[in-house]
Amino acid sequence: MLPLLILVSLFSFTIIQLMPGDYLTRARLDPQIKQETLNAMARRYGLDKPFMTRYWAWVKGIFTRGDFGTSFETRRPVFFTLFLGSRLQWTLVVSISTMIITWLFAIPLGIYSATHQYKVSDHGLTFFGFLGLSIPNFFFALVLLWLLVAVFKVGQHGLGIGGLFDNRFIAAPWSLAKLGNLLWHIWPAWLVIGTSGMAGLLRYMRGSLLDTLSLQYVQTARAKGLAERSVIYKHAVRNAINPLISMLGMTLPNLVAGSLVTAIVLNLPTVERAFWSALQMQDEYVIMGGLLFFSLFLLIGNLLADVLLAWVDPRIRYS
Amino acid sequence: MKKLVLVVASLLLVFSACAVVLAQGYETMPEDALIIPLGVEGTPYDFLEPGVRGGTMYISDFTDPKKWNHTTSKETSTSLYTSQMMAGLTNQNPVNGAIEPELAKSWDVSDDGLVITFHLRKVNWSDGTPFTADDVLFTFNDLIYNEDVDTSSRDNIQLPDDTFPVVEKVDDHTVKVTLSMTFRPILTQIGVAIMPKHKLAQYVHKLNPDVPAGTFNETWGLDTDPAELCGLGPFIVESYEPDQQVVMRRNPYYYRYDANGTQLPYVDKYVVLIVASQDVSLLKFRNGELDVFGCRPSDVPILKAEELAKDFTVMVAKDKPVLGTTWISVNQDVGLADGTRENLRNLFRNRKFRVALSHAMDKQTMINNLVNGLAVPQWSPVSLMSPFYAGRDYYGGPITEANAVIFEYDLDKAASLLDEIGIIDRNGDGWRDFEDGTTVEMEFNTNVGNTVREGAILIIADDLQKIGIKAVANPIDFNTLVTKLLSADYDFVYLGLTGGTEPNSGGNVYRPCGTLHAWHYSACEEPYEVEKRIDELLDAGAATLDNDKAFEAYKEYQITLAREDLGLLYTFNNAYTYVYYNHVGNAQVASPLGSPSSYYGLTWDLVFKKG
Repeated sequence: MLPLLILVSLFSFTIIQLMPGDYLTRARLDPQIKQETLNAMARRYGLDKPFMTRYWAWVKGIFTRGDFGTSFETRRPVFFTLFLGSRLQWTLVVSISTMIITWLFAIPLGIYSATHQYKVSDHGLTFFGFLGLSIPNFFFALVLLWLLVAVFKVGQHGLGIGGLFDNRFIAAPWSLAKLGNLLWHIWPAWLVIGTSGMAGLLRYMRGSLLDTLSLQYVQTARAKGLAERSVIYKHAVRNAINPLISMLGMTLPNLVAGSLVTAIVLNLPTVERAFWSALQMQDEYVIMGGLLFFSLFLLIGNLLADVLLAWVDPRIRYS
Repeated sequence: MKKLVLVVASLLLVFSACAVVLAQGYETMPEDALIIPLGVEGTPYDFLEPGVRGGTMYISDFTDPKKWNHTTSKETSTSLYTSQMMAGLTNQNPVNGAIEPELAKSWDVSDDGLVITFHLRKVNWSDGTPFTADDVLFTFNDLIYNEDVDTSSRDNIQLPDDTFPVVEKVDDHTVKVTLSMTFRPILTQIGVAIMPKHKLAQYVHKLNPDVPAGTFNETWGLDTDPAELCGLGPFIVESYEPDQQVVMRRNPYYYRYDANGTQLPYVDKYVVLIVASQDVSLLKFRNGELDVFGCRPSDVPILKAEELAKDFTVMVAKDKPVLGTTWISVNQDVGLADGTRENLRNLFRNRKFRVALSHAMDKQTMINNLVNGLAVPQWSPVSLMSPFYAGRDYYGGPITEANAVIFEYDLDKAASLLDEIGIIDRNGDGWRDFEDGTTVEMEFNTNVGNTVREGAILIIADDLQKIGIKAVANPIDFNTLVTKLLSADYDFVYLGLTGGTEPNSGGNVYRPCGTLHAWHYSACEEPYEVEKRIDELLDAGAATLDNDKAFEAYKEYQITLAREDLGLLYTFNNAYTYVYYNHVGNAQVASPLGSPSSYYGLTWDLVFKKG
């Protein structure tokens, strides 16, 4: 895991250096700032030093002091900047809840699709699945908000759009009303992020189950006179679901890194947004911190999938 | 033991009671209060009205603050808050742009203009501590002039001869500022935010060697408890939820009052929602979640359609265009670094070519097609709202445009000018050629993603192609564009710069040795006669205390730049657009002049919530 992370960091650092300009580019276009001040700023931030020197200093800082660098903008440690406030918690809440909901819908619908192969309902589900997959997230999110404001006029009922809460709830202590308000604000995120991942899962489940249903042991089960219900749920689905568990490892990091655009349009307070803002300002150590965080998520996702797989499928043993 | 606890507890109670009393503000209006004559005839504020106290205002900004320290802040999403918390000795009137007393209740200028004595108001910081001359000295001598402090204010206050105004204490409420040369804009520039010595001196290495160098640059960061913050401005940060909102509360010790004796600001709280997307901010305004919104020209048609039904007002002020400039830069040093493209360089250096180019720019079509007609053509480097704008007849006079330098859109004229300088089609392929037969070709860049700019370069390139100039529009990444511009590695660049109302602040752009003199960097070594003249005129405008004399110098400066130098070719300036619900009183004060770093020019302490 560690060598992989180091490789990722070197690779990302190189790419950041390949980006044109640096943190000071915007300041250079400010008529009020003189050249000497710009030079002093470059020295202060270490931007006057060559790339390898900076990378080495950064790596050394991590291993000797556990210091992942300082944000140019906030003058605070990288992870403080990225996780400021409740960003990490909200990132986990949004991505995990979206994942659970996607699975809750995709798996039964996949089973339904497989057991009703080539029926109108199967085609219908596939059609809507692919529709959700093909609509760009930012567009869907914006259209959804527009519908709420311009067509349903939710403002007249005192309801807000985007973000996690209405204005009056943001700083309020937790209450049932606040929780209800959270649900009102979070369902567009579930819908937008969820629909984009639903089609893939649904089709995987359908394919996998169809494969399993054509196997001989299923035939045997039916020949034994078992009810169709237990043939499907007890015998087929349990085997068909294994490949999906390994997919879980990929969906988790995808949800975190992939919902960037949605987080911006729906105004969700997540780590992605802080990362995006760092990208725009070329706040390079924060970008590095963000990339490491997302890579770590990928690794954790894979680990989680492996563990789950071993738990679900007794045939799999890691030794 | 029990007794001790009781004593300590009661002492604590007494202390906390004191603290509460302290934070409640003045008992009566202080003698030195600054009266804002809202609605009083004959004052700049006669179109506004006195308001009522109470309520919360909701606005939005597109990104998070980075810190709470005004001195080290670098961008508007931070100064949006810090400039509300702080105040300076002088301030610009949001209505007419005049420089007025703020923390200084008055000042005297010596006859030679070299010594300015400021008389300070006897007012308190938001935590109740009295504001004195020591805070002013601390701000200048220990923060702004301190090399250890990372601030761009230092550049603003430096005089043209590279010295700094000397700030000295006369008594607790009098400060003397001595200059090495006469410099009229000093009264604007001395208005930087004054910082609280009693809170911050401990973090300055120079004053407290126990803290390491550079500590001040990390002071008042986002992890600072808002209760620690204090200022002299109308609002103080109360709480912050990243990516969600910043709440500001009123400063109980604010020194501004209205003519009825009501202490400003009127509203109790100002909430800034952090909304990353402008489109979503627009939706939130339409949904009633924001009270005011600095809309874009492209939003105006949608908002106009709902204006009556939803009871808000869309403000479109063509007579108040936004500050700053938008222009084409023609690189007169193209190929100079590696000694190539001499033909193109000579052409670009030919004034007649740039005149031809000016005649080929259809500003009105750009305005109509790109910003719904909500802009004004621009010809001068000085903003239209500046009292020094050369389209006026005298300092601060009404705009007549009698002096305007306008190259009317006329492709025939442009073509004949090109013929005149020997740029003609020599091989019959439809493109004009140099004398040696090679085609005149150039790349026209702007930043990708800015649809207005992308549209503008397409319109201009299209017109140039009509007269046989092979100009190819090519939008590129912003940082690449800036790097190309600042290293003189481009042909044409279309871009904009921020600006204020004082022409001298454009020195970094228009002086031959300016770091942003990006169309002709070699002018630093070999300036044209006209560039030397511009340098002299910029000096002359700043070196007199007489506004009328300064106006004459700046007028000649603007006309020389636009007619003779043609370094930058200006295009158009967006009209000021703004929208507010009619339950917001005094929102019409919004103007590009209203302290530039505040929210789209809205003066926060003057607005109020009706009924």
